[in-house]
Amino acid sequence: MGADLRTGASPFYWVELRRGTSSRGAQARPIARGQVESMPIQPIRRGDTVLEARGITKRFPGVVANDQINFDIRAGEIHAILGENGAGKSTLMKILFGLLQPDGGEIYVQGEKVSFRSPLDAIQLGIGMVHQDRKLIPAHSVLENIILGHPGAGSIPDMKRTRDEIVELCDRYGFKIDLEAKVWQLSEGEKQAVEILKTLYRGARILILDEPTSALAPPETEKLLESIRYMTGDNLALVPFITHKLPIVLAISDRVTVLRRGKVTARLRTAEATETSLAREMVGREVVFRLEHVEVERGKPVLEVEDLSALNDKDQLALKAVTFTVHEGEIFGIAGVSGNGQQVLAEVLAGLRKTESGRVSIDGVDLSRTSSLERWKKGMGYIPSDRVNVGSIGALSLIENVLMNYHFDAGFVSWGIVDSQKTRELTESLIAEYDIATPGPDILAKSLSGGNLQKLILARVLSRKPRLIIANLPTQGLDVGATEFVQNQLLEAKRHHAAILLISEDLDEVLSLSDRVAPVYEGEFMGIIPTKDARMEDIGAMMAGLKRKVGQP
Amino acid sequence: MRLGSYEVKLEKKVKVTALQATIISLLAILIGLALVGLIFLQAGVNPLTGFRAIFAYGFANPFGLPLTINRSVFILLCTCAFIVPMKAGVWNIGTAGQLYGGALGTFGVALALGARESQTPSLSPVLVIVLMMLGAILGGALIGAIPGFLKGRFNTNEIVVTMMLNSIGYWLIAFMIKEGGAFMGGGGEGTGFKLSESVFGPTVWGQTFTIPIALGVAVLLYFLFAKSTLGYQIRAFGLSPSAAKYAGIDPQNVPLVVFIIGGMIAGLAGYHYFAAVPGLYKIPTNYGDFGDLSFYGIICGLISQGNPLAAIPFALLFGGLTNGGRFVQGQLHLGYGIDYALLGILMITLVAFQFFYRNTIVWEKMEREA
Repeated sequence: MGADLRTGASPFYWVELRRGTSSRGAQARPIARGQVESMPIQPIRRGDTVLEARGITKRFPGVVANDQINFDIRAGEIHAILGENGAGKSTLMKILFGLLQPDGGEIYVQGEKVSFRSPLDAIQLGIGMVHQDRKLIPAHSVLENIILGHPGAGSIPDMKRTRDEIVELCDRYGFKIDLEAKVWQLSEGEKQAVEILKTLYRGARILILDEPTSALAPPETEKLLESIRYMTGDNLALVPFITHKLPIVLAISDRVTVLRRGKVTARLRTAEATETSLAREMVGREVVFRLEHVEVERGKPVLEVEDLSALNDKDQLALKAVTFTVHEGEIFGIAGVSGNGQQVLAEVLAGLRKTESGRVSIDGVDLSRTSSLERWKKGMGYIPSDRVNVGSIGALSLIENVLMNYHFDAGFVSWGIVDSQKTRELTESLIAEYDIATPGPDILAKSLSGGNLQKLILARVLSRKPRLIIANLPTQGLDVGATEFVQNQLLEAKRHHAAILLISEDLDEVLSLSDRVAPVYEGEFMGIIPTKDARMEDIGAMMAGLKRKVGQP
Repeated sequence: MRLGSYEVKLEKKVKVTALQATIISLLAILIGLALVGLIFLQAGVNPLTGFRAIFAYGFANPFGLPLTINRSVFILLCTCAFIVPMKAGVWNIGTAGQLYGGALGTFGVALALGARESQTPSLSPVLVIVLMMLGAILGGALIGAIPGFLKGRFNTNEIVVTMMLNSIGYWLIAFMIKEGGAFMGGGGEGTGFKLSESVFGPTVWGQTFTIPIALGVAVLLYFLFAKSTLGYQIRAFGLSPSAAKYAGIDPQNVPLVVFIIGGMIAGLAGYHYFAAVPGLYKIPTNYGDFGDLSFYGIICGLISQGNPLAAIPFALLFGGLTNGGRFVQGQLHLGYGIDYALLGILMITLVAFQFFYRNTIVWEKMEREA
């Protein structure tokens, strides 16, 4: 092993291009010149195993993240890896991409045993990874982003040649994208396409996709799935890692491997799987997909928002004169693709961002100009979308994280001294009540998994019995079990007559939880629609800014 | 990494006990001293003789020890003045400027109340002493408030502002004590006026009363951060400003508050050296050296990782070594700067050994490869 890693020659990646297309295709091959001639030709046929992992084991202090995992992927196949947070997906993905070295087990590429010292080795062998968080430079054009760091681009990039090569690549895989556009102008879906193009241009034949659809609106998801299917026609192998979107798994993959607690619990052909069977394998028990509808009589208005406008961090008007009311015992949903003003709305309501104009009141008291602290005291509870950087402090204990919502509470502080016994008891009871998996309340918050961290934040906020709950992407990135838990807690709060503002990018979630829904597009509400009359396609179209329905506020 | 038939790995440490931290620090000090030993060897001095002389003068000599204690108290106060802003994630590089502010406050009060040498103060001396200390605290706080306010309100870089204020403080003192300044002493030798004997800082067994005060400040700070709401808010802000803001903590207020507290403590350090250390009782010509000495507070604060109690032994060590190092340089006829070399090397090893607060080295016997 290893010998061909060091020479830098890939054993197989551009073989297909040479064989497959016209002479123009061969000329325009988008990989460093001079390599193809020197490498042995090993034609890949559809169905050949291109990557195989045998008995992969990885231990971290206290946990076995991957326990004897076997996995293989064939050319022209989409093999989804499904598992909850903490099931070991990320670890496996990092091992396959060379970011982590396994403690045991072997990896074979094209039947040859390999060991990756770093992602560079993996890239050399035609493995590419598309990360969940975009690693693009917003101020640069699509073309510049794609060739950035590419060994074939040279120190003075030949823009004409690289451009031709990338256009060729786009045609080949059916991507329609303006190469001159700046990345900041692109939608999330287009950015994803750029990431995929970038790895393809780097020579990847095996693509690892980390949560490929998590940031996309329904129409964009459709488009991405189409491209992905198209790519397998060219014998590319794709490995999407997916946490919870079971319909996506069913829609695109040929095979699926389910992980639970570091072990493979099922490996099936997707044709034989159903949403329920996958969820069972993943969670280890039956999962109910239908949330019961909670009927609560709508009470008096709690949150009243009038003509509220606000600026984003770039001083652009990101929220444009929205008006709405949320009542007691009501969940008011805001559905939209990320970046359409939801974040700004949540922050303005929570008192973390300045109101440009308009009015916000809770229980009839005007709070438009008050601080966040004042609003907490007036019965607001905010569940932020960024759990790690805003909702918690990783270097503090769970007790001190609970204190984040109590350090101003006279019941927990006297004469400027924190009642540590009381906060400890509160934390312990929240851990028990919300079934937070942790060795104890003194553990640091950064050691909690995403789902448990969200439970802690939720527990802390809901324990204040807020009149108004602002839940910003409360289930984003959570696994099936935790999502179910969070949704049920929101319904429970609704039963207790809280007014809930639910911001979500998951249309299914918004429609099943909310009583009324406002699709938001570029900082404006496209309407306010009772969910019982709402059709998913209409809302989806409104989220994309396509259709405007006159609604009553 | 492989060494022979062993696999050597690094593992992340989850927690460090006080005992482990002590052992790590002691090891760092030993290795640092061993390295300094090389310098002694190179200068033709037996390292053991050298170290014995340093420690004997610094920690066991009737003349050296009081000097060490006074320096250590000064360094401890400066460390505390650095730690409070550090906990909030801002850097107080301005302890020098703040202690100059404290000195000006001290002597401003003394002048106003007629407490110059050969004068009799108009109030009871105890009251004058208390007011002088308050003046020191106020002077330091005023200088400290400037970077704190600018940081909170305009997000101005506090490092630049505090460093510039160090210069401003330095020249402000020069303006006050030299050529016709209001605080000029008699004789025109470029020092400030001497205090009236009645308002000298009180002493117990020949030691200044600021020693227990400094220790008290350290203990108080420890409890501030461990128990109080303010301490919690400062720490939360320091670890994650965005999370602190979410929790309703005012992001403009925290930098101001921590710099005021830091300035107050640094102001006390100024009072300590210029009005309470036996034998001085004035702003001397070389007051700039005390500004330089205050920078040890930064190192000390970093090494003790923001723990004011852990800072006490380090402050004592640095106080003793600066003192003993300077002495041994003269006694053994070493080249200039041996004390700086000693402290510099020690700081580097202490900082380098902090690596072991976070990592453990694990040795594993490897299986034979087939």
